[in-house]
Amino acid sequence: MSERKTIDFFINGEPAVAYDGETVIQAARRAGVDIPHFCWHPELSVPGNCRICMVEVEQEKGDPWFDIGCNMPVTAGMRVLTESETVKKLRRDTMQFITLNHPVDCGICSKSGECTLQDYHYEHNGRPSLSIDRKNHATKFYPLSDRIMLDNERCIMCTRCVRFTHEVSQSKALAAVHRGDQALIRPAEDANFNTDAYSDNVIDICPVGALLSRKDLSNARVWYTESTPSVCPGCARGCTIDIWHRKASWKFTALDPQLNTRIERVTPRETPEVNGPWICNKARDLSALLERPRAMEALVAGRPVPTPEAVVQAAALLAGAQRPLVLVSSWASNEELAAFQSAFGERLGRSLTAVVKADHQPQPGEVEEDAILIVADKNPNTRGAMALFPAWDGTIPPATDLVVVWGEGGMAAALPAGLPVIRMSGYAASDNAEAAVFLPLSIQIERDGSYTNIDGVVNSFRGYLTKAPAVLHAIDLFPSLAAAQPPVLTGRAS
Amino acid sequence: MTLPAQVGTGRKFFMNFPVTADSHTLAAYRGRGGYQALAKVLSTGMAPTDVTKEVTASGILGHGGAAFPAGRKWGVVKLDDGEPHYVCMNADEGEPGTFKDRWLLEHVPHMCLEGLILASYALKGRHAFIYIRGEFDLPWRRMRDAIEEAYAAGLLGENIQGSGFSLDVVLYRGAGSYVCGEASAMLASLEGKKGWPRNRPPRLTVKGLYQRPTVVNNVETLANVPIIIAEGAEAFRKVGTAKSPGTQMISISGHIARPGVYEVEYGYSWERFLYEDCGGMQGGKALKCVIPGGVSTKILSAEELKGVTLDHNSALAAGSQVGSGGMIAIAEGTCMVRLARVIQRFYHHESCGQCTPCREGMGWMERVLDRIVRGQGRPEDIDRLYHISTANDGTTICSLGDSAGYAVTAILDHYREEFEYYIANGRSMHDGTLTVTDPFAESLARWHAAHPGALSPTLAAGAH
Repeated sequence: MSERKTIDFFINGEPAVAYDGETVIQAARRAGVDIPHFCWHPELSVPGNCRICMVEVEQEKGDPWFDIGCNMPVTAGMRVLTESETVKKLRRDTMQFITLNHPVDCGICSKSGECTLQDYHYEHNGRPSLSIDRKNHATKFYPLSDRIMLDNERCIMCTRCVRFTHEVSQSKALAAVHRGDQALIRPAEDANFNTDAYSDNVIDICPVGALLSRKDLSNARVWYTESTPSVCPGCARGCTIDIWHRKASWKFTALDPQLNTRIERVTPRETPEVNGPWICNKARDLSALLERPRAMEALVAGRPVPTPEAVVQAAALLAGAQRPLVLVSSWASNEELAAFQSAFGERLGRSLTAVVKADHQPQPGEVEEDAILIVADKNPNTRGAMALFPAWDGTIPPATDLVVVWGEGGMAAALPAGLPVIRMSGYAASDNAEAAVFLPLSIQIERDGSYTNIDGVVNSFRGYLTKAPAVLHAIDLFPSLAAAQPPVLTGRAS
Repeated sequence: MTLPAQVGTGRKFFMNFPVTADSHTLAAYRGRGGYQALAKVLSTGMAPTDVTKEVTASGILGHGGAAFPAGRKWGVVKLDDGEPHYVCMNADEGEPGTFKDRWLLEHVPHMCLEGLILASYALKGRHAFIYIRGEFDLPWRRMRDAIEEAYAAGLLGENIQGSGFSLDVVLYRGAGSYVCGEASAMLASLEGKKGWPRNRPPRLTVKGLYQRPTVVNNVETLANVPIIIAEGAEAFRKVGTAKSPGTQMISISGHIARPGVYEVEYGYSWERFLYEDCGGMQGGKALKCVIPGGVSTKILSAEELKGVTLDHNSALAAGSQVGSGGMIAIAEGTCMVRLARVIQRFYHHESCGQCTPCREGMGWMERVLDRIVRGQGRPEDIDRLYHISTANDGTTICSLGDSAGYAVTAILDHYREEFEYYIANGRSMHDGTLTVTDPFAESLARWHAAHPGALSPTLAAGAH
């Protein structure tokens, strides 16, 4: 990378360094000074409309100069004050304006608890409204799309959502209409927000509770939930995400226990080299992918058996096979792949062949590929698996006398009839009962691990659920499978 | 074209010919010496920088309201940066009380156009734009016809008069937004976007229309350019005062006996203009105050007007501005509380809704004023109005919010006791109806008597 020119200046009397072309708000952020902002977003253009980021610039002589920090280029030696009395007063006044027509209905607002406006009110204003006149009323619960609803009364017209659809998702599906305090965010007439595969990001970037997910609306208060860092398995991009679930300290005791373990929502976790601060709607709907019916017990010839017994049977089949073929899962974590390689290291390449198969294919109606994040390979760790094993060409070598299918995919129809099959997977499927032995595996949210994404970036995820006792962690399973010994069953592994 | 002698309100650049049914045409304009400035520039091969130099030397101040030196604005544009440059004529005259550009567009459209061509020549523009107020029907038709005439006469288009200079003009009608008269909002509207003003930096002369260097000038400013070029900066400077050379088109309305459009030489006595040229107040009432140049300028009371002359320095010294030349005379007996509310209703209606202080503040101020007028005012409301105005001052993207603050606080400064009275008593100090007479009624009756069977003077003049 070429060296960027730097500029020395001062923030609140402390020397700071800005890169050439940076604005005050950007340079201040890197210097650890937080200038409040609603409309400014690091990934979007600068509209300068919220006016909360006013800063003071001391002048050599004469009155200081006030302007918005988000649109102010840093110049050499400039002395910026972000906490002077005048700046604080300007912020207080701006907060009065912003909350003037805002309903302040935090008690029933789903954004409450993670709302920028709420935070700034306590930090920069702290006074009730000075107005004694009625507030403007506007549309409540306006459906912007099948996924997102808009509360125009809560909206502060920062236009982050409009700029997002123009600059990031390219759908140009939102616009501002009308003037003055009657201005509204509305869908653009010649676009369709429903087909915007990234539409839900506007919920995260909305600094107030105006844009909310219709799916997650009023599901859980923010303070009852916590997030676990994870990686989206929806495609080979491997976007880093936070999976939100109920806090252990706030578990329901009387209601459906599913409520305590379900995925409340998925939000992006910013990783500049992978997904920036964005994720696509498939990641938001991760519960549809991860919360499918699980395979909860081991099967031998379609009959449920205790898991250790099934493992012994499978190990015996493997030990007896002359030319077994293993179809390795592209949903397996790097740790599981390594455990497989070390367990079967002696046989690999000699009597045992391991090839990587694609567990998932693009579904009808899904965006297959685009220029933003989504890639055509719908498996999270193809690159990690291919680093160790070659790709499966879809054929079964003639001498093969046993097929081990690890993960989903590798349909029974694709395998020669009469060939014994061992299946290992986390999800219920009709193929499971047709296998000679079926072993239930844990899924991503039950274990720690890492995926290597399409660009070779390794991102790790953490498990937050405890697996069922009959379900196996693959890394526990492989040593016993290779050594023909019963597995050591643990509640939580790696 | 020669500079006229001092008559009436001073020398006149524009209103120096009898308006007839075809006095706006190319032939009539040529007969008055029109397009000689353009011919001079093109035939003598005057360099673009020389045109800018002449305009700078003339000291002409922008006539849109801000009085920014036009030459300095042109001088910022780098002529050899290889980028296209655009010149836009701001004909989106929307300031309440201002209708002087309308007169120019209706009666001297070719003069405005010649100014635009000269400005484009000076700034090496290939395309120029005229953003005309959507409600202007006759001015639009006149300008449209003028452009067609100019194309037919070879004054526009490819290789104008064989000089190698080419220019195309786009006439664009606005859609009725006040804020689109603000230069950057106007450019956004021209680009087909919502008419929202843009943050500076970058300046429009660096990144304007389509992100290219753009100069936006008021109609009257551009209409002055042919005079400056034809007569020279030195001759132009001799008109008006040293700091405000030239003339100012003034549109006066309100409780004045003879409202209308006047051309006044800078330095002319303000009181003389009101009491002699405009015939004083209707019904012989006393003058209470004037809004000097559009409602965005601070009002001046009758006492403050004493000795003030119509030029930028004198108006500034008196605490206001010449502004856009849209003068409104207000007679004694007018309720200033209700006047402030009418003004604020306008700003509330026209706030574009982009930036916070103006979007919310305009409505807030109107609601406070509304409440006072309903008789439910509270003593702290006056401070609240001041507070909202100061919170808007310098904190917004464009100056609409500031202007509203200036307008309302100026009225509060001058007539605070009327607000206090209204709040304390729930009624206005001036409850009596203001007797006004239609100043045209009498002359119209006379005209009809002289022209039996005719529809109206404007129809007869071919205006429709």
